[in-house]
Amino acid sequence: MALLEYLDVSDLAVGLFFIGLYGAMTQRNIIKTVMSVGIMDLAAVVFFMLANYQDGAGPPISGTPVDRMADPVPQALMITAIVIGVSVVAMCLAMFMRVAYRYGTADWNILIRRLDK
Amino acid sequence: MMTLLPTGPLYLLVLIPVTVAAFGFFLPRRQYQRLLLLTNVVVAYLAVATFIEVRWGADIIELVAQWREGVAIKLVADQYSGPMVLLTGLFFLGTYVFSTRADYMDKVFLFLFMLLQSAIFGMFLSGDIFNIYVLLELGMLTIAILIMYKKEKQAVYDAMLYLMMNFIAMAFFLLGIGYLYRITGVLDLAMLEQRLALLESPRSAIVPYAMILTAVALKSALWPLFGWLPRAHGAPSAPGIVSAILSGIQVKVGVYLLVRLSGVFSPIIDAAPFFAAIGFITSVVGFMLAVAQKDIKLILAYHTVSQVGLIVFGINLGPDVAFWGGMYHVINHALFKGLLFLTAGVIIDQYGTRYYSEIRGVLRRMPIVGLAALAGVLGITGAPFFNGSISKYFIQQGLQGNLGELGLYIINFGTILSFVKYSTILFGAPSPDAKPARDPYIAVVSAAFGLAILAGGIFGGPAVALIYGPEYAAVGAFGLDKMIMFALTLALGVAVYRWIVLRIGDFLTTIREFKFNFNQVTVFLTSFFVVLLAYAYFAV
Repeated sequence: MALLEYLDVSDLAVGLFFIGLYGAMTQRNIIKTVMSVGIMDLAAVVFFMLANYQDGAGPPISGTPVDRMADPVPQALMITAIVIGVSVVAMCLAMFMRVAYRYGTADWNILIRRLDK
Repeated sequence: MMTLLPTGPLYLLVLIPVTVAAFGFFLPRRQYQRLLLLTNVVVAYLAVATFIEVRWGADIIELVAQWREGVAIKLVADQYSGPMVLLTGLFFLGTYVFSTRADYMDKVFLFLFMLLQSAIFGMFLSGDIFNIYVLLELGMLTIAILIMYKKEKQAVYDAMLYLMMNFIAMAFFLLGIGYLYRITGVLDLAMLEQRLALLESPRSAIVPYAMILTAVALKSALWPLFGWLPRAHGAPSAPGIVSAILSGIQVKVGVYLLVRLSGVFSPIIDAAPFFAAIGFITSVVGFMLAVAQKDIKLILAYHTVSQVGLIVFGINLGPDVAFWGGMYHVINHALFKGLLFLTAGVIIDQYGTRYYSEIRGVLRRMPIVGLAALAGVLGITGAPFFNGSISKYFIQQGLQGNLGELGLYIINFGTILSFVKYSTILFGAPSPDAKPARDPYIAVVSAAFGLAILAGGIFGGPAVALIYGPEYAAVGAFGLDKMIMFALTLALGVAVYRWIVLRIGDFLTTIREFKFNFNQVTVFLTSFFVVLLAYAYFAV
């Protein structure tokens, strides 16, 4: 268990990123690949949130002493990144619906064969 | 010192297009289009003024809303971004006027067009890596919709592949930014460069380096990550104007970021030889695939891959003259490929087909469009007196006498070969049922682009000095040996086309119909990341 104690949460986020990447490389189902890419995106967000993590820091709003505030930059940026991620995933799923209606498949391999030549 | 044109703050370039497009959306279509034409003129003026200010005045660095440096949103116009801003402003105005009478110019299309313009200005001007990320995502979503815009022949698969590939790349980009923020604590490009130089162990920066540069390599469509580009740029449902902007400007964002971000990492990692090699491979693979295509838009799209490879090859060779040759080729390629895509859109509408074998006699049926397309072809093949010859000459200057010079001849030969195929549509007799199109907007803009291509060639050396600053003599590009060389290559290209390319149709069909699926493309992306990481590990 020594290895587990050595790891921190941001290492787990990197692990999650590569799990997502593995999914994108291996899954043939289109929805599963969209989910995998979504996981990659969120893993990057989690990693970023922990970038300047300090133990015991308070939220960066008035009322917290300045020297005990958490770094506000990652939080501000990651709200943007989360919104972007959600909209791109939504867009991917919307496109998948059109593809599924038109070609009647959710499999990348079958889809490629059914494309108009 | 010249008198400088009055100019506004930089953020106007980013904000005007999208704000006007959003607030004017309630207007009827016709007025909306006029309002946006006016907006485009204003923005083009601002772009020119900004360029002049940067070129003959000083670099503009702007911190939005008076925050201190490092925290504020920072916009920078300098030697690299100034010319790109100029190009973007004029190019968008030109394409907008070109498609004044096109049937796809409805309100939603116009809005997305302006949104893309804002995003592209932002990408060039941003001095902060996180803003670049946000704007790339914004541009990516807009483009995904624009690619499938003509509903009757919707290419959803092309758009979906484009979106998914770019989304993965952007996840890499975001994780890379996270790493950078963790080790340096800043996101500002200039401050990043300073702090990276001070790192105790430079190797801690190779992971973010590989992640960010992998994403940028995908954006600029380098081998083996270019699979999405031809499908997106050559999509049947993308109007000609969209293809022109994607190939002319959008793919250059990748090249620009490659230059910018390589500069940020330059204190610790120099991967120029790696990218020069990748650029060369991209270029060769690109023209081979271009020769195999039958669809004229796909010939152009694959050829964009080849030319981007040439640009990346040039800027990473090392000598300054090759670097500026590559940068000049960015502008030249925007002009001729933009023109070729615009005219291809008109040609496809006129003939009702996309296949090169069914289109003949464009020069006779549509003289101005045909002549403009011919100017584009001459520019792209590097014919003497056209702009492509100058940038290729500069790249060649940087290579003198070494093996790369041979590589350049191979690339040039491939370009000529694919355009021998393309230009078969220009000649011959048109079918008798021809109904000539009369559209003054198309004629004027085509002629303007064509003349710009010619002027960029005749005044090649001064043009580089005017746009970027460094002065190199381009006299050698007009030498008799260059003309003989071009004529010989052209003859060889025609011969190879007649006696080899036309006889291996089955083989070309196999290449054309071979497609990688999404999972394989992701594997390529991962492999590229691993190789770049390994290269960076040993190069530090």
